[in-house]
Order: sequence, then structure tokens, then C-alpha cells
Amino acid sequence: MSIIKAEALRYKYPMQDELALDHLSFSIDKGEFIGIIGENGAGKSTLCQALNGLVPHFHKGAYGGTVTVAGKTVHETSVGELSTIVGMVFENPVVQITGAKLTVYEEIAFGLENLGLPRSTIIERVDEAIELLNLAEVRDKSPFALSGGQMQRVAIAGMIAMRPEIMIFDEPTSQLDPQGATEVFEAIETLSRNGVTVLVVSHQMERLARHADRIMLMHGGRLVAFDTPERLFAMDFSGISVRRPVYTEIVRTVQKAGGISAETVPVTLEGAAEWLVKHRG
Amino acid sequence: MSLYVDRPSVIHRLDPLTKLCYIAAAVTVPFICPVKSVALLVAAVTYILLAAGRVVTKVLPLLGFVAPVLLSIFIIQGMFMPDNHALVFRIGPLYFYKEGLSYAALLSLRVIGILGAFSLLVLTTKPSDLIQALMEKGLPPEIGYVLNAVLQIIPQMANALQRITDAQRARGLETDGRLLDRIKAFFPLIGPVVMNAFVETKDRAMALEVRAFNSKTKRTFLHVRKKHPADVALRIMCLAAIILAVVWRLVG
Amino acid sequence: MIVERKSHSTFDNKKDSHKEKGLETMKTSMWSFKLSTASLVLIPAAVGINYIGKMIAGFLKLPLWLDAIGTVLAAMIGGPVVGALSGAINNIIYGLTLDPISFAYAFTSLFLGLAVGAMAYKGWIENAGKALIVGLVAVLVASVVSTPINIIFWGGQTGNVWGDSLYAALIAHHFPVWLSSFLDEWVVDVPDKIITVFIGYLIFRGLPKTFLQQFDRQNHTDVL
Ligand SMILES: Nc1ncnc2c1ncn2[C@@H]1O[C@H](COP(=O)(O)OP(=O)(O)OP(=O)(O)O)[C@@H](O)[C@H]1O
Ligand SMILES: [Mg+2]
Repeated sequence: MSIIKAEALRYKYPMQDELALDHLSFSIDKGEFIGIIGENGAGKSTLCQALNGLVPHFHKGAYGGTVTVAGKTVHETSVGELSTIVGMVFENPVVQITGAKLTVYEEIAFGLENLGLPRSTIIERVDEAIELLNLAEVRDKSPFALSGGQMQRVAIAGMIAMRPEIMIFDEPTSQLDPQGATEVFEAIETLSRNGVTVLVVSHQMERLARHADRIMLMHGGRLVAFDTPERLFAMDFSGISVRRPVYTEIVRTVQKAGGISAETVPVTLEGAAEWLVKHRG
Repeated sequence: MSLYVDRPSVIHRLDPLTKLCYIAAAVTVPFICPVKSVALLVAAVTYILLAAGRVVTKVLPLLGFVAPVLLSIFIIQGMFMPDNHALVFRIGPLYFYKEGLSYAALLSLRVIGILGAFSLLVLTTKPSDLIQALMEKGLPPEIGYVLNAVLQIIPQMANALQRITDAQRARGLETDGRLLDRIKAFFPLIGPVVMNAFVETKDRAMALEVRAFNSKTKRTFLHVRKKHPADVALRIMCLAAIILAVVWRLVG
Repeated sequence: MIVERKSHSTFDNKKDSHKEKGLETMKTSMWSFKLSTASLVLIPAAVGINYIGKMIAGFLKLPLWLDAIGTVLAAMIGGPVVGALSGAINNIIYGLTLDPISFAYAFTSLFLGLAVGAMAYKGWIENAGKALIVGLVAVLVASVVSTPINIIFWGGQTGNVWGDSLYAALIAHHFPVWLSSFLDEWVVDVPDKIITVFIGYLIFRGLPKTFLQQFDRQNHTDVL
């Protein structure tokens, strides 16, 4: 059952000549874990924002085609309304702190207060989010006093407390240290296991390949490929630099040397090891 | 960041709106009845309330701020007010008159009273409680957000300024010396702070929007503010004081 | 009051008309109270900049306050409504946190932001010469609004030594109080406000276009 569907989606930022999204059509099923990759300026962030209404409502510009998420047409639905369907976590942890709340607990409740939910529901959901993201020991601290990884988990908690069916992560770990990145990826995994449809933009190919059901490769605003990691990383792309997981690169080097061509490649450490054992000699 | 002083007092437990009503009365009454006795009465009540709130000593620095201005009012009005006739005393060539000094006394009593009334609110109320009270009475939530955010952003920016000042000094920026050098030093200090503050605005705006910031529904407040039984009675008394003052003015 | 409460969507709800709508160049008036989130977020930054400006001026022992640079910038960037809100909120927060007297001058800051924002919108910050005129207008507005406040609270004085000396000399010669007080305030405001507006103008000129573009009052999305 598809939960996200884009048809001929195209978009241009204000005062820009080129399309930032160029005729994108795809569909994503409920519960899928989707990775989004591509070079800088490929349109990954723009695509993410086209799924939760920031494109076009926040950015304006010029827009065409349709995107539907959970049955709602994005360009006809306000960002506020979409926020209960699509959650979004951005790259910079600090700017996602609202700045109006004194404690982590209140910070997580911010979106729920805006939605006007009953107090008891808010408390229940905030407690649950704190539990899920392992934030119990910082719940009464000022959000500004946290580490980057903790702040990012607070941002995630604030979003998932709104109970979206879809969560989008736009480079959620690129400003974090390895420890923080691991914390955040673990949180994303947990959400995915709980049935949330997850989209993650990341340059961390090893992690992405391990978790993603399918990966989107974007270039120049177009969707170049959309397939399972095993198939997508087996493809050759001319004119586009695609970073693959190191394990995949090892296998592909061996394949090239041996003149083997394959439809799929292993993308994890275990997969690569198994492949190498099988193709010994 | 605030002037709030945490003390166990009745005044602290009153609703912020009740204190706003008190300010309304304490500001308007001395203007409706422009005589020293009324200004003195209002100021006296205000300082008794401050004492009840156990914050009277915290008003002293604030009074210290205005003391030089009040002193200069006595001097200037006492010597130069156009209505001056009755000489009270002279210090060498300086002549002080009754009318001017009396006017200065009225002004001073009013200022001291009004400052006290505002202090009563500010010293005994958490800013976030005041903002929430106003939002509950219809202040747009967006403005409520902005007020709360300002309270948090100022310490953040002060920290950023400290870092920038240290960095620029380490690079040899002249921060004392001739006036021209100091003026020139202004830009490398404020420039980075401004850029930092503005660069983030777009991302912050997006982050707020995805958390239903623009939602049309009535906000819920996580905190429940306790009502004090005396609130209503006190507000009625403030209103009564204003009405009484108007009547006094019309009759007298 | 204020602020967008309606859905952000400016698309027609009917899908068919969306196709036919084509390009439009609708602009919201500069007096619109419907503020975008981006404009609202500008206000805390502006108040923070005011505070920092004042701190730096004190730290460098400059003979000026320079405590309204943020208000002026917010007005130039976001227009008169954002400017006015920044000014008023600035004084309310100062009143709450530092000095209750500043509540009284909230109107002065409000009208300062309003005036600078309106003039900026009408193209008065295109060059340095015009920016100086905006500074002069700011002085005029600030002193017109401050004078009644000064008279009500302080009998017309400002607390500034030079201004108050002038005031004393004028009332001693039987000039009317309002005029003496106005000139007192004028003495205080002329250097500070003109320089504040000019610094605001210099910083504004240095801001990136991509940043300024988001405050463009374009309130629609074109159809591709
Ligand atoms: N607010 C904006 N206004 C104008 N152009 C923009 C804006 N944001 C992005 N762009 C442009 O749109 C294109 C796509 O940008 P986008 O941010 O979606 O890329 P990305 O794949 O997320 O890149 P990165 O890896 O750097 O985050 C780029 O050419 C970029 O310069
Ligand atoms: Mg991006």
C-alpha cells in the first residue's frame, strides 16, 4: 500500500532559473525504510521538504505536479496539518530547539501544545517519546545545555510525539560526532521497527545500505535511480559520482578484476564476506 | 534572564494579571488626582505590597537608577519653573522656589510609585508565567512565542558576543584607545553576532512550522497556573480605586 | 491582532482552477499584520542585536547608546510591522528583565521601527544619503513620541546632562515646556538615532540576497 506518491513533481525556488525538482514520479509503501543519496545540490533537501509541505507553502516559488502523503495532497494542505502525518528532522540540532521552552520536557511538548491536544494526552505522549529516545536523564535540563546528539534526539522526540506515520531525516547526523551519530541512527532504527515509514538523507552509505529497503539516487533535481541497495549500488552511473559502502567497493573491485558483471552486490560487511568466500579463487 | 526573585510570599502567588491590574491603578490614579497626598498614598501602598512580597530591598537599585534624574528635577524645576514666585531658600546665587519644588515632589512621588508598581510585577512574577497568563487571555500564541524566545536568546547572544570579543582581541582588535579606534572596533564585534542571529532564522522558521506553529487550533498549556482566591477581589479593588479617583476628580 | 491564522496554502482548493491560475504577481501590503514565520523569528534576533549593540557600545565606552540597531535592521528587512513589533517587544522585555522604566518608552521604539520600516519599504535605503534622511526622520519620530512621555513622567527632562541644561535654560527664559522638552530630547536623539540608523543601513547592505529574499512579500506560489 503506497503511503507517499509523487506524480510529475516539479519545483523551482523563487528567482531561480533551474528546476530544483525535475519531474519526479515515485511511490513509497507504508513501513518502508528509504535512503536518499546524491551530490551536494542534487535536490535531496528540496525533495524532503516537498513531502511535508514546506515546498511549496514555505518557500513559494513555482510548483507543478502532485504529491500525496497518506491520502492528502501536499499543495492543498497546510504545513501544520501535514505535521501530524509527516515529521521532519533537520541537519542543524540547535535551530530545531524552539528557544521558547525552559526544559527538554516542555520542548518536546511544544508541537502538541500547538495542536491543542488535551493535557493528559500531551503528558502521555511526551513521556513515551522520552522513554523511546532514552532522554529520561535530561528531561529537566535546558535544551541548550545538551550535546549535539542529545539535542538531535530531543528534536526527534518532539516530532514523533506528534505521531506522524512518516518521518523524514535530512542529514540528521552530519553535524554530530560519531557517538551522537550512532545515538541518532539507533533512534531511527527503533522508529522503523515500530512501523513508521522512514526516509533518511545521509552520506553515511554503510549505515544507509544496512537499513534501507530502497535507495533514491538524485542528481540535478532528477531521480536517477530508485531501487534496493543491492541493485542500486551494482549499477554504473556516468557523470555522477556515487559513493558506495566500502564493502561494496571491495566486492566491485574484485568483480571488475575478474570480469564479473552482476545485477546485485552485497552492501554490508557480512554480505561482502560471504560473497568473497563464495567466489574464492 | 529576569529580575524575578523567588520568595515564598502571597504576592508571588497572585495571578500576574492581578498585578497588571494593580499597575493600571497605580499608574492612572496619581494622574487622575494630581496632588501630592494621593501620589504619596499610592506609593505607600505599593511599597507595603513590595514589603509583603519580601522584595523591597530589590527595588533600591532600581530607585538608584532614577535618583540622579529626580535630583536634577528638583534643581531645575525648583530654580527655573515659569510659575516660580515664593522663594524658599538660596544657596549663593541659586534661588529655589516653593512652586517648582512642590511640582518636583509630585513628579518624584509619582515616579517612585510607578516604578514600585512595575517592580511589584517584575520582581514577583516569572516572565514565562506572565506570558502564559496573557496568552490565556488572548495574546496571539505567535507573539507569546516571540516573547519567550527573546528571554532565551539574549543570554545565548551575550555568550556568543563574549566568544567573538575574545577572538577579535586575540587578533589584535583595538578596544580601548582613541575614540575613532573604538568606533572602528564596533563593526567587527557586532557583525558576526548579527550574521549568526540571522543565518539561523530560515531554518528555525522551518523547524517551527513542522511543529504546527501556524496551527489555527487553540493552544493547550502544559502548565496549569494556580488561581489565588484573592485574585478577583483584588482586581475589583483596583478598578474601584480608579473609579473613586475619577469621582474625586469630577466632584472635587 | 497580527499573524497568519489561516492555512498557509495559497493554492485554490479546487484543483482545476490551480491549473488555470497561471502566473500572478500579487503582493501583500507592507502594513499586513499577517506575518510569516520567518518574519516572526526575526524579532527575537532583532531584540538580541539591540541588546548586544548596547553592550558593545558600553564596552567600547562610546558616547552613544546604539541600543536600537536590531529594531532598525528588522524594520529594513521585514517592514514596518516587524519593525514596530521588534521595538515594542524590545522595551517590554527590557522592562521585565532590566529596568521597568523602559516599559514607558515602548511607544518610542514602536514608532521608530514603524517609521524606518515604512521608509525602507518605499525605497529610502537605496544609498547612504537617503539613509541619513531616514535617520533624521527617525530622530523626529522618536522625539515627537518621547516628549509627551518625558513631560508626563519627568516634567519634560530626559536625564541627559546636555539636554537637560538646554531644557533648564529654555524654561528659565519662559519657553513653553513642550518645546523645551522636545529640544532636550532632540539633543539626546540626534547623534544616537542617526548613527544607529546608519549602522543599520551599513549592515543591511552587507546581508546576502538569498537571506533577504525570504522576506519578500510574495505570498503565492506560481504554477509550473
Ligand atoms: N532556499 C533556496 N533558494 C534558492 N535556491 C535554493 C534554495 N535551497 C536550495 N536551493 C538550490 O536548489 C538546489 C537543490 O538544493 P538542495 O538543498 O535540495 O540540495 P541537497 O541535495 O539537499 O544538497 P546538500 O547535500 O548540499 O544538502 C541547489 O541548486 C540549491 O542551490
Ligand atoms: Mg540538503
